[in-house]
Amino acid sequence: MRFVRRIFFNLAAWAVVLAVAFPLFWMIVTSVKPQFELFRRPPTFLPDTFTLEHYARLLIDTAFLVYFKNSVILATTTTVIVVAIATLGAYSLVRFRYRGRENLAFLVLFTYLLPSVVLLLPLYLMLVRVGLSNTIASLVVAYTTFALPYALWLLRSFMAGIPEDLESAALVDGASRLGAFWDVILPQLLPGIISTALFTFILSWNEYLYALVLVNSDSARPLTTGVVNMLVSAFNIEWSLLMAASVMMSVPLIVVFAFLQSYLTRGFGAGAVKG
Amino acid sequence: MAEVVLSRVRRDFGAVTAVHDLNLAIAEGEFVSLLGPSGCGKTTTLRMLAGLEFPTGGEIRIGGRVVNDVPPAKRDIAMVFQSYALYPHLSVADNIAYPLKKRGVPRAERRPKVERTAELLQLTPLLDRKPRQLSGGQQQRVALGRALVRDPKVFLLDEPLSNLDAKLRIHMRAELVELHQRLGRTMVYVTHDQLEAMTMSDRIAIIDQGRLQQFAPPQEVYHAPANRFVAGFIGTPGMNLIEGTLSQEGGAWCFTAPGLRIAVGQLTDDAQAGPATLGLRPEDVTVGAGPVSGIVRVVEQSGHENIIIVEIAGNERLTLRIPASILPRTGDTVALAPDATHAHVFAAGEAGQRLNTATARPRPQTL
Ligand SMILES: Nc1ncnc2c1ncn2[C@@H]1O[C@H](COP(=O)(O)OP(=O)(O)OP(=O)(O)O)[C@@H](O)[C@H]1O
Ligand SMILES: [Mg+2]
Repeated sequence: MRFVRRIFFNLAAWAVVLAVAFPLFWMIVTSVKPQFELFRRPPTFLPDTFTLEHYARLLIDTAFLVYFKNSVILATTTTVIVVAIATLGAYSLVRFRYRGRENLAFLVLFTYLLPSVVLLLPLYLMLVRVGLSNTIASLVVAYTTFALPYALWLLRSFMAGIPEDLESAALVDGASRLGAFWDVILPQLLPGIISTALFTFILSWNEYLYALVLVNSDSARPLTTGVVNMLVSAFNIEWSLLMAASVMMSVPLIVVFAFLQSYLTRGFGAGAVKG
Repeated sequence: MAEVVLSRVRRDFGAVTAVHDLNLAIAEGEFVSLLGPSGCGKTTTLRMLAGLEFPTGGEIRIGGRVVNDVPPAKRDIAMVFQSYALYPHLSVADNIAYPLKKRGVPRAERRPKVERTAELLQLTPLLDRKPRQLSGGQQQRVALGRALVRDPKVFLLDEPLSNLDAKLRIHMRAELVELHQRLGRTMVYVTHDQLEAMTMSDRIAIIDQGRLQQFAPPQEVYHAPANRFVAGFIGTPGMNLIEGTLSQEGGAWCFTAPGLRIAVGQLTDDAQAGPATLGLRPEDVTVGAGPVSGIVRVVEQSGHENIIIVEIAGNERLTLRIPASILPRTGDTVALAPDATHAHVFAAGEAGQRLNTATARPRPQTL
């Protein structure tokens, strides 16, 4: 009985994995098939002819690299800003006693009560008013407003887990408040900071709606809207190029994940305090 | 000069007053314990000395300087935290070196100091480990090392032995006393363990609910408790406290309770005829012959002595410490003789002050 059950569970698990992984697999396969092979019937599972021509075309003939650069700048800047503000904010919410700090913490979550489409127009008008329309900076501002509340809460719970005595010890040992924060709090907070950074980076890398509305000049477009704008028209979808672009869009996320994942596990180990 | 003086120091947390107008003058090089039940304000007092908490009133002086507004880093103190508070991401060596680093000691000078401290505390083989790879006792020694490496004016220790097992605790107790003698530094030691306070301190400050009850050497705290709280708090098993009446007969004071009548000797001018409390240590009553009779209710043998609980008239129960050679059985009727010269008298009520003029026992002679 147990044996049967195990087989059943394994099958089910693999089915789920397959369902998730197959589109990714198909994306990669499509991106390296020559154009004529794409719509052949029956479809080829593995490409008969392997080609990188789509990648070459994307990199040389299109504005892909500009969009890519924009996305990197956009996601990195947003991440740095969000992590910096959220870290300091979380520190303040956890360590300092002042009137209304609990209310403040709840208040920042209010942004999540409204659907983001509702906020879109007011935000757009505000950004136009301050002269940021059609810039990467406008998207940085917009994404910061989505990511910051969640980041603040995430880091607040990590911060609350750091014993106050650690900081007191650093103060007695001769550190200034800032020194104690830098020497003791930040290293303890590293896993939290990495989780927050990952969350923010992915959010800003993948966002579509705001990018579509707030930016319509090619020089400032990020990858999501840029690629769709360039390859999808009313008459034609350039499937091979689209898939090649999708693969290249995923690469940075995979790299970031692979790099930070080892950090994450190591960070969690280092943060362990004996009760 | 590193005497520590607290004058009318007070700390309020909203409506709660954790420390009430505390006056304490600790001499240079003295080992003083702050002793009291949980929540009495010991940690708060220590954190105020360290500069981690600000007094809402009063004045703190260290080495003659008022330090109320001086940040912890500038007070030249070292503190061992109840939780050890070792930096989890730093090795043992870096933990111990941290205070030196923060005070600008060059790397080349840090190394030998850390090694000397590690040797003193038998931490040398552990220098490269992280705190989480250490046992509780080892962590505690690292915390101590971090305090010792710097030779500060004053050491503050917050229940540093409370997480250790009994054997290691006794060992570390002796180590700390020896260390204090060697360094000659002022040490303020927080504990709720009276045995620690009694065995280690030059003087003990007993605190209850944020108020200082008595500040005196261990012998005096034991033999001349300033009030009922101290009398009941110090000593295991605790002092027997019996409610009764004080009366004056022909110039001599006499205490009466049901089935009990004792001439209590000289009392202060505050003594008044009327209700009062008598205190008798378990060892200050002899069993076998005497004017008081009682029924044995509980017998506990601990090898070198026996502890018995005897019920006398008026349902009053006395805990007595008797030699192992005397072993009554439960239900036996025994005769008791309270030692009048060692009887303590307190004014009526929970906070009753000591009324005896003399100390119950003379200070022990030094050899
Ligand atoms: N930050 C704070 N906010 C509010 N009340 C506090 C705070 N810190 C301490 N108190 C209160 O002050 C009183 C004294 O606390 P303190 O920590 O000094 O006790 P303690 O003597 O060290 O006790 P223990 O032996 O349990 O460590 C307690 O009633 C406690 O609840
Ligand atoms: Mg405490």
